[in-house]
Amino acid sequence: LWDPPWHCPLGEACLQFLRVRSLLSATLSLPRHNDLPWQLLNKFNNQLRLPEANLTVLNDTHTNIPKLRQGHVGAQFWSVYVPCETQNKDAVKRTLEQMDVVQRMCDLYPETFSCVTDPDGIELAFRSGKVASLMGVEGGHSIDSSLGVLRTLYRLGARYMTLTHSCNTPWADNWLVDTNDEKPVHHGLSPFGKIVVQEMNRLGMIVDLAHVSVDTMKAVLNISRAPIIFSHSSAYGICPHRRNVPDDVLRLVNSTGSLVMVNFYNNYVTCSNKAKLSDVADHMDYVKKVAGAKAVGFGGDYDGVTGLPTGLEDVSKYPALVAELLARNWTEEEVKGALAENLLRVFRQVERNTAPYESPIALEELEGSCRTNYGYSTDAGTAQRPSAALALALVLAPLLSVLY
Amino acid sequence: TQPLLTCPLKGNNLFLSQALFVFHSSHNDFALQLRILYQNRLSRVNLRELNLTHTNLVKLQAGYVGAQFWSVYVLCSAQNKDAVRLTLEQIDVVKRMCNSYEELELVMTSQGDSRRIACLIGIEGGHSIDSSLATLRMYYDLGVRYMTLTHSCNTPWSESSSKGMHNFYPSVTGLTAFGQEVVKEMNRLGMLIDLSHTSHSTVKAALNISKAPVIFSHSSAFSVCNHSRNVPDDILQELKRNKGIIMVTFNADVLACGRKVVNISTLADHFDHIKEIAGSESIGIGGDYDGVERFPEGLEDVSKYPSLIEELLRRGWNETELKGVLRENFLRVFREVENVRLKSKLNLESY
Repeated sequence: LWDPPWHCPLGEACLQFLRVRSLLSATLSLPRHNDLPWQLLNKFNNQLRLPEANLTVLNDTHTNIPKLRQGHVGAQFWSVYVPCETQNKDAVKRTLEQMDVVQRMCDLYPETFSCVTDPDGIELAFRSGKVASLMGVEGGHSIDSSLGVLRTLYRLGARYMTLTHSCNTPWADNWLVDTNDEKPVHHGLSPFGKIVVQEMNRLGMIVDLAHVSVDTMKAVLNISRAPIIFSHSSAYGICPHRRNVPDDVLRLVNSTGSLVMVNFYNNYVTCSNKAKLSDVADHMDYVKKVAGAKAVGFGGDYDGVTGLPTGLEDVSKYPALVAELLARNWTEEEVKGALAENLLRVFRQVERNTAPYESPIALEELEGSCRTNYGYSTDAGTAQRPSAALALALVLAPLLSVLY
Repeated sequence: TQPLLTCPLKGNNLFLSQALFVFHSSHNDFALQLRILYQNRLSRVNLRELNLTHTNLVKLQAGYVGAQFWSVYVLCSAQNKDAVRLTLEQIDVVKRMCNSYEELELVMTSQGDSRRIACLIGIEGGHSIDSSLATLRMYYDLGVRYMTLTHSCNTPWSESSSKGMHNFYPSVTGLTAFGQEVVKEMNRLGMLIDLSHTSHSTVKAALNISKAPVIFSHSSAFSVCNHSRNVPDDILQELKRNKGIIMVTFNADVLACGRKVVNISTLADHFDHIKEIAGSESIGIGGDYDGVERFPEGLEDVSKYPSLIEELLRRGWNETELKGVLRENFLRVFREVENVRLKSKLNLESY
């Protein structure tokens, strides 16, 4: 049950409250991007069975089960984020461990969570009163420049990937290159980066452009055959922070049927460390104005940041934002769109039935000593296959001597 | 059905039904060859006719192979580096391979009967999990149904039978406490525990804790050839009690201990010895095609399996025993492993 923060006399505010509550109980709410799995790693090393990790009573995170219920959250993409420091090290393993903790969370709290992977699964979970749980990979470093790994993460249930976190990958630039802190490397996407996007289109994995540079945003919006999302970014036009989306990109969002899910983090909302709920609503109004009502969503970023607006301190406060939008004359359709429908629309658009991409990234584009180069031919970087006998002689003999 | 073999010694033709030859051949390193030769680019190769390898689809059919475990092996030198990524890439290439050819069908349980060659996936070496139970679980989700606890290198939690080949974790013996957790988690998941390549202490430790039957996916008899990759008689007896299976390798070096002549008879000697110690119900066909260089004369590639069957028939093995070797023994083990998974779910055991 949701307690209105205000006393409820008969009158405008109370009617509004009732309207919001009835809207929310009938409507799926699918706010994006929640970093609870990262908190579970930090605080408990993913040991969900520790008494202090009990999600029904855990109280120093933005997210727990009671708050999700109060917030009427019907579905959630859990971010399986691993930090940039894992790039060229154990990023892949770490990502698998985060995906595993989400699955175990679903197994451990089956009355609350239902791990699903498609819009039909979301509908089904919603109807049974559970929080549909999906997974998103946050940062291309998680695939270690490997299409095989990308496909595998998809098979394990990941349904979006943020192309970069706050670090470049060997194939895409991140938002820091638009600041003084870093120089651009790829000016968007490298040729391999384009293949990654195409393979994501083919698989039906949503491309997420939060955290990428403006050049990367434009490059992707130009080549992607499916609509894309910004899972947690706000409007540059209000707060000129480089994590936000500038107007010309918002227009591309509009023309491609894509989606911007507004981030609640104070620094991206007011460009200062304080904000209020109405500031977040301003961003939603702005995106709606420039990119259209079908391009707006609730981003959040709960448990991924500290510094959230008054009135939106944790996941139980979503309804208050809904109330504000209704008060600003958003129609119910538009609010439903922002809550879930816009995202579901993007999710449903997949490309089908073409052959998987197989080209590996060129060896010289990779860094780090924590890697081997098995499978690359002796002519590094070329696509030609050496003659059969030569391949066997050169490659098999030394390798097979260690095989039994 | 037409006669598939004739039995000259017995003087009459022995008709064997097609079902007898629905193989379960456990260990094949073909996926490694795809990586080495083609960078996993399946679009560049026709798997039906490929003749650079011991295996292609035509040969598998000629050998009456009904089910094949594809090993997603990655070399030991990737341990502590990118072993996880490489393993995922090998799993990906096997899946793509099985999806692209109608002769193949990806399979993850012991159930089902198909006219197609069943593809199953096995990991060869615990270094592929990078000491992470979560990674092990994700591999199971992807369809991996066995894991060889070590290849020719120790992991931080298990000891290999190979000494001096690599220098990883030299002080590990048998299974550490974490290694025991790995075995228990494999029981709970329903993943077959493969003990080929592991040291004798590891084998004994695993046989002690495992609640399910175990396998040796490609090893042979130590009494016949005292190679460290082979299984001594006392362990064969424990294997019998465990109701597990040893799938005999075709690797000439491990079969013949350096003898120059290695042929079908050499291999059949191993079969006979293991049958004597552990019973024919403990035996299966290992193979190891595309994983090593030397095979017995007459068994140069996967199409030649039937010659082995002929030899065993000649030596007096009966149809039931051969059905066991070809298929039933392995299925028994696989079903029991799945059973242990079911029972674990009911007990809500947690790891």
